[in-house]
Amino acid sequence: MNVWLMGSAVLLFALVLCGISCFRGDAMERLVGLEMAGIIVTLLLVMLAEGMGRVNFYDLALALALLSFGGGLVFARFLERWL
Amino acid sequence: MSAATLAVEVLVWVVVITCLLCCLGLVAMKDFFERLHYMATVSTVATMALLAAVVIEQGWGQAAIKMSLIVVVLLLMNAVLTHATARAARVRDLGHWQPAEGEKIAGLEQIGGGGHKDK
Repeated sequence: MNVWLMGSAVLLFALVLCGISCFRGDAMERLVGLEMAGIIVTLLLVMLAEGMGRVNFYDLALALALLSFGGGLVFARFLERWL
Repeated sequence: MSAATLAVEVLVWVVVITCLLCCLGLVAMKDFFERLHYMATVSTVATMALLAAVVIEQGWGQAAIKMSLIVVVLLLMNAVLTHATARAARVRDLGHWQPAEGEKIAGLEQIGGGGHKDK
């Protein structure tokens, strides 16, 4: 097990903290937890790709970064007025 | 252990510790607007450290270019998303996002006109 895989295993605890944040507070406070989780998982996928030596898996992290951006914007827009 | 390996290890743990501390801050803070700030550290410090680690490990190849793209997306995303989320929270609370009548803003004089109330 190299340092990338060890780091990504430890980084899972950060996801647990994001999950706790998603279960507390009102809808907007939960949204912040979701947005943070999107960034953390993006970094986690990069570390896993590097740890496993698969450069092609970087595309997953790039796709997640783009999609979590769009998802966060849509959630913010809907929570602003309609939900 | 070579200097490059040591640098990669240090940078990876910088990423991990930064993410853990910011997530702890996210859980510990009570105020919504205080929580928003913790996304900035992750998407700047942690992503830059990870880019540096990837470049040291792989050199300027395909991995570094893809990681650079991810860094650009995360930097732009964080700025836009933080603004959109904060604005959404304010509109949700007040019905509009502009300064309310008599509201004091740090660094500005008291605003007398008030914001428009239309949705």
